[in-house]
Amino acid sequence: MKTPIVAFALSIIFSLSAHAELKWEQTALELHPTPADKQAIGHFKYQNAGKTPVHFKSVHASCGCTTAQTQKDEVPPGGSGEITATFNIGDRTGTQVKTVTVETDEAPNSKTVLTLKTIIPQQLEINPTFVFWKQGDKPDPKTITVKVGKDFTVKHIKVTSSSPDFQAKVEEKGNGEFKIDVQPQETKNLVASTLTIQPEDSQKVFYATARITNSPVVQ
Amino acid sequence: MRSSLIRQILILAALALAPGVGEAIYFRDKISWQSSIPPSELVTVDQARTWGDNAIWVDARPDEEFARDHVPGALSLNEDRWNELLPQFLAAWSPGKKVVVYCSSLSCNASREVARRLRKEAQLPDVFMLEGGWEAWLKKNR
Repeated sequence: MKTPIVAFALSIIFSLSAHAELKWEQTALELHPTPADKQAIGHFKYQNAGKTPVHFKSVHASCGCTTAQTQKDEVPPGGSGEITATFNIGDRTGTQVKTVTVETDEAPNSKTVLTLKTIIPQQLEINPTFVFWKQGDKPDPKTITVKVGKDFTVKHIKVTSSSPDFQAKVEEKGNGEFKIDVQPQETKNLVASTLTIQPEDSQKVFYATARITNSPVVQ
Repeated sequence: MRSSLIRQILILAALALAPGVGEAIYFRDKISWQSSIPPSELVTVDQARTWGDNAIWVDARPDEEFARDHVPGALSLNEDRWNELLPQFLAAWSPGKKVVVYCSSLSCNASREVARRLRKEAQLPDVFMLEGGWEAWLKKNR
């Protein structure tokens, strides 16, 4: 057993990597957009380290919220470029991971999966975003809790009800926490209200919904 | 000789494990698509159809795909316009109703995210994801 297995395995790994032509600077990116950003854009840079041109066959994003573009269809030997992945943030929250699958005509590594991890900052965490009373219920107040995200400072919030059928009172609990007591005037009619929650000195607006609903469905 | 062989095997095993450990550390905050969906959160097309009017169908796909075609009576609720679409969905919801969320296919993630937010943020009960999504519904209905 004189053949060193490790050396053999490493030689296989190196020979395979030498065969691959398109070298990616990074295949995973982490983006940190600001609360005002509507998009997060990642640039995946590559270089053709081989001796033959590489052609892109397809570039496919994992969801409709992400688009990916190549600068060119063919990369000559020694040529470089990038794939631009654009993630539309929309009303998404938290950590979002999207992938872009790139297929080329190089063998044996014709498919590369590029990963775009976007950490969307959350200024306020509202829980729950929906309070309801069944028709005929006692119109007792229900509480919505608002917590300020760890990287933000909010001293006051303003809450507005879109309908006079519901009242909303804010209580500041300290340590970045607020309590909103929502109360309907009565529960006879099927009415609803959108509660607009706005941190002071911020353009960003958050929402919650209050409703009087039908009685449960009898099965 | 034998100990040398075992040592080399262990080194190779450790080398093979390293990328997996690295990935686990990088994605330590448990991205939703990495874990499997509990069967209790899934519903088949046939099961959902038996619920009749007691179910609200929610289309989690982008606006353009919803506009092209959707399950009859389904409401659009996607994360591109969550704040705008959620009140419209909540206006149709009432206690006791089951919610069936779907996106394009088995592999899409949008229905999972929409279902998660309905459960966690709006605190709605009985929110299910449609197995196989829109593609499964099409197969059964067209």
